[in-house]
Amino acid sequence: MFLYHSDMAEDADIDLRAAFNAISDVVQNRPRPLRVFDQIYMKAGDMVLQSELVARWANGKKLAFIGDGDAISVCVAYLHKREIINYGPTEIAVFDFDERICGAVTRFADNERLDQIRAELYNCLDAFPGPTDFDCFYTNPPWGASNDGESVKVFLQRGLEATGYAGEGMVVIADDPDLDWPKRVLSNVQTFAMQSGFFVQRMMPQLHYYHLDDAPNLRSCNLIFKALPGNRLPGPSQRVSDPARLAHFYGRDNPPRVRYVREKERLDYGKAHEDEYSLELLEDSHGTHH
Amino acid sequence: MAPIIRPGEGLLYMKVGTHAQETLEDIIERKRKEIENAGFALWGYGGNTCHPVSMVQPFARNFERKAGVLYLCMQQMNSKHFAPPIRATEMSPDGFTWEKIPLAINVKGSRYALAIKNLRQDDFDLALARTKVAIGNSMGRIGSQYVAGRVDKACLEVSDEGVTQPHDEPVVHIGLIAEIVSPYAVFVRD
Repeated sequence: MFLYHSDMAEDADIDLRAAFNAISDVVQNRPRPLRVFDQIYMKAGDMVLQSELVARWANGKKLAFIGDGDAISVCVAYLHKREIINYGPTEIAVFDFDERICGAVTRFADNERLDQIRAELYNCLDAFPGPTDFDCFYTNPPWGASNDGESVKVFLQRGLEATGYAGEGMVVIADDPDLDWPKRVLSNVQTFAMQSGFFVQRMMPQLHYYHLDDAPNLRSCNLIFKALPGNRLPGPSQRVSDPARLAHFYGRDNPPRVRYVREKERLDYGKAHEDEYSLELLEDSHGTHH
Repeated sequence: MAPIIRPGEGLLYMKVGTHAQETLEDIIERKRKEIENAGFALWGYGGNTCHPVSMVQPFARNFERKAGVLYLCMQQMNSKHFAPPIRATEMSPDGFTWEKIPLAINVKGSRYALAIKNLRQDDFDLALARTKVAIGNSMGRIGSQYVAGRVDKACLEVSDEGVTQPHDEPVVHIGLIAEIVSPYAVFVRD
């Protein structure tokens, strides 16, 4: 048996083969990423380690995912359900503007009887629908290379709202020693969090790789925030409509234009689509077709 | 003769070769005729390093303002590209609004295409180490470090030392250039 020893807990040895196979089940279930919306998937090995980390960090808590193309939410719930890890959140809610992602979460949860996870169609530019009593949130947003982290701040703001400005959050963003823009984004995001009554509890640098063909060596870090004691919700959640915040949301001169990605319903989820192939039949011994 | 690409200006670098089972020589000949007949050609390509909306269009708008002309600098390579030569019938600058591609223009086996004119053979060396990536998640990375492995094209900004004069660093040989024209890059579909 291959074991992974968690750096978060002294007593956490994990059956790596079982963990990888569980993550493989989740990856098989994910919709293909839409790069135009910065859906860029984390590599599977990093997903295993990240899921274990998130499960332990949010153990016994209510956890909100502000967007989750990677499906870390499902991995966390599934690893726990399969008893590959014996800890995890009590409740998980996924908020995503892509109906395919919400549908994939819902279908997988139904198939595997993951009772603690649900998904809700939500665009983070809209006011946060609530509830706001989550203990913690997780987000891996568009990294803001062209907007100095403004897109990260929008997702972070929704996460803070999900906890009523009183919880913890894990933000996954770019972290590269050779590039300038990730440093500016890290600085701006931390400043925004501090102005919102949060402090940086932990920073885990240069952890994850992605299926990112235009930046194959770019890594991301985990930035973990925690609310200061007595921190309060500043007011009701508001729609984000300031053009200055949105002008470069998905890259330079590329503001959001889409509210939701809608799923085209089909009966062959997770299967090869019939429009991908055709069948050429064997001939039998009499030269006729079956 | 090398085009004048000054420090601070941009260029789009691309490795080119056989595409959709058609040789580069045949593609060049076909594209020249397209430019004669339609005023421009669509140069098909794929991959996210030069995504039309998030990379090429904002890059081209920015650097065309600075230099007036944005060059596509192409390095010939041996390649096998097995994509089926299916002709695209529609193009879109944003993925939302689509229009018919003129009959004089044939883009085959591609998802994206650059709008180009003045396609011509040339002969000069380009010091990728004197460039840096101009846009996207790798913005700021040195061009020679970025163009490696599966990365075979890039939106680059020329550094202060210039890019086409002799340098000690390794260079790539540019044998084909074109001017990128509005709308710079489009999505195409059949």
